Amino acid sequence: MRKIVLLSVLMVAIAGLILTGCSKVKGQAEAALKAAEKVIGEAKPEAEKIAPDQFKALEAALSGAKEKFGKGDYKAALSDAQAIPGKVKEMLESLKAKKDELTKTWTDLDQGLPKMMDSIKSRVGILSQSKKLPANLTKEKFEEAKSGFENALKEWETAKESFKGGKLAEAVTKGNTVKEKAVQVLQLLGMPVPAAAKS
Amino acid sequence: MSEEDVKEKGESDSWSAEQVHEVKKGDTLWKIAEHYYGDGSLYMKIFEANRNILKDPNLIKVGQKLKIP
Repeated sequence: MRKIVLLSVLMVAIAGLILTGCSKVKGQAEAALKAAEKVIGEAKPEAEKIAPDQFKALEAALSGAKEKFGKGDYKAALSDAQAIPGKVKEMLESLKAKKDELTKTWTDLDQGLPKMMDSIKSRVGILSQSKKLPANLTKEKFEEAKSGFENALKEWETAKESFKGGKLAEAVTKGNTVKEKAVQVLQLLGMPVPAAAKS
Repeated sequence: MSEEDVKEKGESDSWSAEQVHEVKKGDTLWKIAEHYYGDGSLYMKIFEANRNILKDPNLIKVGQKLKIP
């Protein structure tokens, strides 16, 4: 009888220890999640504009850690959340270089694309007055070129809006799309593709 | 004017899509306009774009490099 009582006391003690341990890990995980959320929030304004993909990956990591916490996997949530501030720090350190690179690309596009667009505009205007299209250009190809050019012009306006809004990465992505569209139009019209637009 | 007679190349500016035609023997602005635009009557567009080197649309010289707008 005495043995049974002793065993019961021991089991209760062990259960208590386990519960205390779990509660401690839960508290640590909670604190780590809050810390991770804070650093992500602080990095957001700049990171979203310069390195949106990297930033989304960090937000996904935070969501994953929260999900694990919600399912009661406090240990995994703690481990995942604790890794986030370090990753945010790494990303922030790489932002300057990334910003410089994007700024250079944007400057090139901003100086170069209008020249390409002007050449296309001029040719489309002249061909629109032509009574007969040149041998290498069918009516269908010319219509495709005209609508491609209109789309490129519209896209270029939205790229410039993104740049004005400080969304550098978005502006460069859109600018590159405009470049690709303009190259397609040049090829349809049988015009030379500038060296800078081939890369 | 055959394809072989026509030499086309872009300008040195790395972003320029401007087309350049080097005048060959037998070329006229009308023929050049016909080649690039399909319509010789648009030859004045080429003349206007090259007013810095052309004084008369009927006078072009072999080797001249003309901008094709």
